[in-house]
Amino acid sequence: MMLTRRMFSGLIAAAALMTALAGAPVLAADKEQAALALVKGIGEKAVATLSDTSLSDEQKQERFEQFLDSSFDMERIGRFVLGQHWRSASEEQRSEFLKVFRDYMVSSYADKIGSYSGENLEFKETTSLNDKESLVNSLIVRPNGPPVKLDWRVRQGDEGEKIVDVIVEGISMAQTQRSDFSSVVNKPGVGVEGLITRLKQQTGSAS
Amino acid sequence: MGLRIKSTSLKAGLLATALMVTVSGCATPEQKESKAAVVMYDEIYDPLEPLNRYFFDVNYALDALLLRPVAEIYRGVLPDAAQDSVRNFITNLWQPVYFINNVLQGEMDRAGDNMGAFFTNTFLGVGGLFDVAKLDTQPEDMGQTLAVWGVDEGPYLVLPVFGPRTTRAAGGAVVDYFLNPVNYVAREHDWDYVPVALFAADGIDTRSRSIEALDEIERTSIDFYAAIRSLYRQNRNNMILNGASNSTQLPDMSFEDDDKPVQKN
Repeated sequence: MMLTRRMFSGLIAAAALMTALAGAPVLAADKEQAALALVKGIGEKAVATLSDTSLSDEQKQERFEQFLDSSFDMERIGRFVLGQHWRSASEEQRSEFLKVFRDYMVSSYADKIGSYSGENLEFKETTSLNDKESLVNSLIVRPNGPPVKLDWRVRQGDEGEKIVDVIVEGISMAQTQRSDFSSVVNKPGVGVEGLITRLKQQTGSAS
Repeated sequence: MGLRIKSTSLKAGLLATALMVTVSGCATPEQKESKAAVVMYDEIYDPLEPLNRYFFDVNYALDALLLRPVAEIYRGVLPDAAQDSVRNFITNLWQPVYFINNVLQGEMDRAGDNMGAFFTNTFLGVGGLFDVAKLDTQPEDMGQTLAVWGVDEGPYLVLPVFGPRTTRAAGGAVVDYFLNPVNYVAREHDWDYVPVALFAADGIDTRSRSIEALDEIERTSIDFYAAIRSLYRQNRNNMILNGASNSTQLPDMSFEDDDKPVQKN
């Protein structure tokens, strides 16, 4: 009698524990699933676009701009890249910066489109970074040469999942850009306005 | 000869120490306006920037005049298999140093791989020309070991000829030089050219593998110097962590703290 009652309460405790444990991960796993789905979709579309020989480089370029606009949180990335200068920038400067920053990103990656040689994406695990962000680990498998680690930082927002950073072999693109821009934007008398001019020059000469 | 080397390296060491003392003296953060400003400050912390930029330009000129053309000839003339053998040979000679550093970092499995790779490739791979072991060992230097032990990275340096280093990595490289058995053998036999030749071969082979990558960074960056500084530091951190993605290292992108009014202390 004693034994069964104890067993019974033990069972209830175990069941309660399991629901408590299972409850949180289900929600978290949803976030990671959504992040993985987004990145997988992008990756598959990107590989399909790159390997499609019927498309011209301009058409491929156009599709990439669509990926960038639809799946990347460009405002957040731009804000991150400006660092503390975002706060002091005027509303006009902010929107102008975001515009030229996007063009700069597009022109930076334009040359890579032609150099595709059979690379493929392989997805590894997805981990939670915090309550809104996940990190999707993937591997660029190359026909010649060792694979390259590629991690995608995905953030949940009002408009669903968006990519906020791409990390290649432990090197964050957003962080690299922020450092790259820092000495220009930190220079007295140059600031955000000067950076905008500089980025315009860069995209003008690169395209 | 040996004595002369000692006294010059001693002088260089003293100079470096003196330099570091002067540097750390003026390395106080300016007024911290926001969290973002503090993060940025650490990210671009570079007290020797004017001097570093000068040597960056010197190295850039040396590269354009000498290293890059040689690297392009090396890549164009040598078959891929021969280039791989150069890489394998140099890596194999460094395996004892990687081994010691892995032991000092407590990475016993990796140290075992270094040992296995060294003996397998030395004896079955014709003195290290062929990578028979295929253990994919990663470079482990004293700079990484010091980082694992909790030593700060110190100011960023651009050394003439050697290129970007953290102070920690530069100090570690000196220790690694004395740890490498090759250098002892060379000194014993008065083969002064051996370390120099190895250094040159390593430089040419490494450069030949990064021609396109560096060109692209130069073309797309706004400030080539700052881009390289960031890439170098992030890559070092990645090496220290042995490629394990460390989510705590990723910078904050929520801006929640930033939107709140900041109390000034």
